[in-house]
Amino acid sequence: MDTYDWLLALHVSGAFLLVGGSVFAGVCNFLAQRTDRPSEIALFFGLVRVSLPLIGVGSLATLILGLWLVHHVDYSWGEFWIWGAILLWLVMGALGGMGGRVQTRARGLAERLAAEGDAPSAELTALARDRRANVSNYGAGLAALLILVLMIWKPGA
Amino acid sequence: MLASVRPHAWDLPLFVHVLGAMILFGGTLAVAAFGWASWHRPQRELLARATFRTLLAVVLPAWIVMRIGAQWTQSKEDISGTPGWIGAGMAVSDAGLVLLLVAVGLAYWAARLRGAGWQPRAVAVLSSLYLVALAVAWWVMSTKP
Repeated sequence: MDTYDWLLALHVSGAFLLVGGSVFAGVCNFLAQRTDRPSEIALFFGLVRVSLPLIGVGSLATLILGLWLVHHVDYSWGEFWIWGAILLWLVMGALGGMGGRVQTRARGLAERLAAEGDAPSAELTALARDRRANVSNYGAGLAALLILVLMIWKPGA
Repeated sequence: MLASVRPHAWDLPLFVHVLGAMILFGGTLAVAAFGWASWHRPQRELLARATFRTLLAVVLPAWIVMRIGAQWTQSKEDISGTPGWIGAGMAVSDAGLVLLLVAVGLAYWAARLRGAGWQPRAVAVLSSLYLVALAVAWWVMSTKP
């Protein structure tokens, strides 16, 4: 294996961790929104935390190794698929962070309510199903999908 | 540098294959996490139902998409014989289906038993093994030794 093979394999591994971790977080988020009981909402939002190291490592690996690959292969930085992917990576991170902050607040409230008798609460249900957070999370997923499209089709290459 | 010289006719099949594989990995990760979490949490019944539904709604459809993409990509590539990296990918894919179907059966059994018994742990072990196999497959398919 030469340097290119190593960089590509690790870049692809980063992408698997990023998208796989996001799918896992998406499943937990979906399940948390299908219940009203605080202990169950806390359980699924708590499991989202397991995916965060994978998403973090995957995000950094895809970006750093991707930039390294561009330099190594001598692609032009002006090619649309390269700067478009970097832009989408930034959008994905920003949207994912916005959605994640609401989930963290919902998890905190759910844990408190679970300890106080586990009775359903309209405030918690509204927070767990927050429309803006959902739009942010699905937007982050869409950005990741578009990055994959750019990486495979390489428009402008 | 295959990626830089790959014909565009391969792009859509490859996209389908890779996207399916990534969702398969994420869904299997969720199944493994639910299985391990049920070991020491009181919400065993909920986790057993979540495991079964995730297998049916995410993991098996993703496996089908991944496998269709693989066959479609292979039909576009003019490769004589079966190189080791394709053989390894096929082996993980096809043996993985058997493992996943066993996991679905055990997850259904666990859901019927409201999460009690050894079945959730067996699903956790099987799905964790499959995660390792998937990681080996994507590494081999990326490096094409």
